[in-house]
Amino acid sequence: MAERVIRAGVELTPAEVEELELERPDYEVQLESLNQWQLAWRRFKRHRLAVIGSVIFLSIVAVGILGPVLLYYDFRVIPHANEIVYAGRAPSWVSGSWDPPLLMGETARLQRDVFTLVVNGARLSLAIGVGATVISVILGALVGGFAGYFGGAVDWVLMRIVDSLLSLPLLFVILVAAQFLGSGSWFSLMLIFGFLGWLGLSRLVRSLFLSLREEDFVDAARAVGVSDFRIIVRHILPNTLSPIIVAATLSVAGVIIGEAFVSFVGFGVDLNQPTWGNILTNSLDFIQQGNWWWAFFPGFAIVLTVLSINFMGDGLRDALDPRSRI
Amino acid sequence: MTTRLEPGAAPASQPAPGRDPDVVLDVRDLRTYFHVMDGTVKAVDGVDFQIKRGGRLALVGESGCGKSVTALSIMRLIDQPPGEIASGEVWFDGRDLLSLSDREMRDVRGGEIAMIFQEPMTSLNPVLTVGDQIMEAVKLHQDVGGKEARDLATAALRDVGVPAPERRIAQYPHELSGGMRQRVMIAMALSCRPKLLIADEPTTALDVTIQRQILELIKVVQERTGTALLLITHDLGVVAETVDDVVVMYAGRIMETGTVEEVILEPRHPYSRGLLASIPSRGRRGQPLHVIRGVVPNPFRMPEGCKFEPRCPYAWDQCKVEEPELYDLGGGRSSRCWLYDARFRERLRRFEAEGSEFVPPEVLTELTA
Repeated sequence: MAERVIRAGVELTPAEVEELELERPDYEVQLESLNQWQLAWRRFKRHRLAVIGSVIFLSIVAVGILGPVLLYYDFRVIPHANEIVYAGRAPSWVSGSWDPPLLMGETARLQRDVFTLVVNGARLSLAIGVGATVISVILGALVGGFAGYFGGAVDWVLMRIVDSLLSLPLLFVILVAAQFLGSGSWFSLMLIFGFLGWLGLSRLVRSLFLSLREEDFVDAARAVGVSDFRIIVRHILPNTLSPIIVAATLSVAGVIIGEAFVSFVGFGVDLNQPTWGNILTNSLDFIQQGNWWWAFFPGFAIVLTVLSINFMGDGLRDALDPRSRI
Repeated sequence: MTTRLEPGAAPASQPAPGRDPDVVLDVRDLRTYFHVMDGTVKAVDGVDFQIKRGGRLALVGESGCGKSVTALSIMRLIDQPPGEIASGEVWFDGRDLLSLSDREMRDVRGGEIAMIFQEPMTSLNPVLTVGDQIMEAVKLHQDVGGKEARDLATAALRDVGVPAPERRIAQYPHELSGGMRQRVMIAMALSCRPKLLIADEPTTALDVTIQRQILELIKVVQERTGTALLLITHDLGVVAETVDDVVVMYAGRIMETGTVEEVILEPRHPYSRGLLASIPSRGRRGQPLHVIRGVVPNPFRMPEGCKFEPRCPYAWDQCKVEEPELYDLGGGRSSRCWLYDARFRERLRRFEAEGSEFVPPEVLTELTA
């Protein structure tokens, strides 16, 4: 006689038992399976301004990297005094004189080609913007992450440090730091912006951690024996990446403008290392003589870069928002 | 026949804590308090129980009675502050977990004691693949390389009945159903062959058909690997089909203990009887559902006497005045009820006369199946 099988108070026939014993089929519908980055990319592509912005931004980056290949002149070469014939020539397409070809005109004193300067400026301005952002993202993520994850006294101390730093007039701190530490080098300017730029980001990351640390998967990770540091870096931080990426993108634009400002007021990088900011500074004296090209092109480069980054950040914000379903 | 325990004295039948090699988990007088703005919540207030190697024990009780806090205290996952494990010992495999360093405790977590949580939908990290998460558990506790960890993770998924584990391992949690995710959690929990598995309401968030599969699975895997099981649930139906021993908790205290058959067929505490009577049953179709009237007491205004007294249909003056102790009823059974004091034999007889009419037939069939 067959064994009686009772499930949920119901006696089953042998056929039903057999059915139960069969390996459970995989009922899940096989949809095209996309991870969050693939989904984000799909949403990003539908954001027209963001696509345009990133194309422009990537072109600027490419120009910066390929600079030496593109350049007709080497900006470091200062011509001998008796070679200076027509210092401050207008762009060839304005003046009609193509010998030598001057795409964006020429500067005055040193007979430098503005195009050469702007391309080299792209390099350093972007390097400062991206480098400072990388530093501030790392610092901000760590400080915010630790404060938010541990809470209590750790949070209090770290956030009071942030508060006090934020209460400083940062612009003047940057100016002073640039004066004393910078000595005209782009690298130290990048460090200054990086080490002073993480404050807002740390607050953002902290607030994200405050809510994420209550998630069940954090408890689950702790129950598996994962250490606190690893939970912060490997389990929670990836969940905060979307807002961090958006903030970082916008921070690049912010630093580029900041660098331009600092250089413009004369505390930044010297002209042997051209950045868009210091090219503008040097153009000041000659604008009244009609050398508009000297100021226009670097200024335009800043506007174009910042605008394209902001469009890109906008698109990223929408694309990386897990709630948006396009 | 009922003996009254001397307060604070360990029963003579029990060896010194942690010494019995057959006992994998021995919790002694565990007290976990939470210090919050309005005062102190004694979430767990003097809990003792033991689990044998490969044994299965359930903590049963309503929401807020301290079941989960007990489990989290064993794992030392209570946030301190506001939490505080005020006193007690948790002997696990010859060591008192409460005296281990954080580093040693991390090795125990996941390696020797694993835990499954209530919500499979939120217990997996949404940005890491299923494989990453299982492999992390494997790598943390076993000295294996990447390739080997991957094989172990695949094997763990196969063991819990996940179809096509090689493919699943590269998927993200949102691509899996609730039942599949709970299987993944079980795979992760068992991947390091723990000596104890704590399952905190593992089926509450799942629908009924999946609940059964998951319970069966936990039981099968637990038996196969010889892992001991601490099941936390409010569902006596789940208890009946899964465990050997039951500890009924209320307001941070143990109310009754016994084997699952004993507690269900012959509950010796009004609270256990009330819980059993509250299980909806086909046999009582058409009748109003039985409930335990009232709610769990406010933790800041606990009753003076028995914590269950305000809701107890059998309570009398004695219950208001003084809290009963956990009476040892012999044979592993105990009850925290004045009925078992020698002075109140007459009341006990009336209580027992009401018999087991409360037990729903479905639960009985589970027991006898």
